[in-house]
Amino acid sequence: MEDWRRIDIDAFDPDSGRLNVEDLKPPYEATISLAELEPKISQLRSAATSGDFATALQLLTSDPPYSADETAKARYFEAVLSVLTQVRQAEIASLIKQLSSTQIDVLIKYLYKGMSVPDGQKQGGILLSWFEKLTQNSGVAPVVRYLSDRNTV
Amino acid sequence: MSQSLRPYLTAVRYSLQAALNLTNFSSQEVERHNRPEVEVPNTSAELLLQPMHVSRNEHEQVLIEPSVNSVRVSIKVKQADEIEQILVHKFTRFLEQRAESFYVLRRVPIEGFSISFLITNKHTETMKTEKLVDFIIEFMEEVDKEISEMKLFLNARARFVAEAYLGEFVY
Repeated sequence: MEDWRRIDIDAFDPDSGRLNVEDLKPPYEATISLAELEPKISQLRSAATSGDFATALQLLTSDPPYSADETAKARYFEAVLSVLTQVRQAEIASLIKQLSSTQIDVLIKYLYKGMSVPDGQKQGGILLSWFEKLTQNSGVAPVVRYLSDRNTV
Repeated sequence: MSQSLRPYLTAVRYSLQAALNLTNFSSQEVERHNRPEVEVPNTSAELLLQPMHVSRNEHEQVLIEPSVNSVRVSIKVKQADEIEQILVHKFTRFLEQRAESFYVLRRVPIEGFSISFLITNKHTETMKTEKLVDFIIEFMEEVDKEISEMKLFLNARARFVAEAYLGEFVY
């Protein structure tokens, strides 16, 4: 028998009111699978290769795959990162101006996510200039909303 | 300031400004305790907010982990070669041993980073939040400069020592 004095009995009590990470995930109606994301990924890639970054940015900031699992999100994020890194520095500011405030909130999630994965860290410079233009446009508000938002990309 | 350092520091500044919004919060698990929620294990998940990574490249990163009453800021200082690794280690260790005079410095950095700061609601209540942010930003600016200066000094010294020592063998 293990040391019963150290057993955390509150963890077994459903009424203890404690929340774990799973409880905090917003309830999604349906989970998006990787197969359902594929068309959006190819759309993003084709928009990026044809140089139509305004469309690509609108596409990636609207309806992000919050309910997908981690592998699907990672797969989707590769496409997002390739769009973000292909945009020229000079165009970033004008592209951000076209976004609504909800879209900016989504964009900042991608920026923070990008800087946390090794692939994005290699492109740190370009992500940081996105971040700089974004904060010049809308200040600290999107960062605050990012902090408390449990929907992750 | 170099071209890519400025966006890096602005990103850290904005992230810190957003994160340093702390309140007094007593522990939910232990009575009459008041502890930094970001540091204690087995805490309720709702007290932790989304962590923020800001990275300039693979070698220079900042991780900001906010919670309801404390923020942990970890900095990875650029270490290009072995000399810099040793210098950064010695330098941060020197500071960490004197952590109480820095108030917000953490004695041990978290895994994978060179130095960590822990800012709690006590600090934001007794100090100006803006100045705390400035302190961290200034530290990040200075530490790179300091390390490269030390490296230059070390190399110069090594060269001088080698010359003095090997001069004995020249006839």
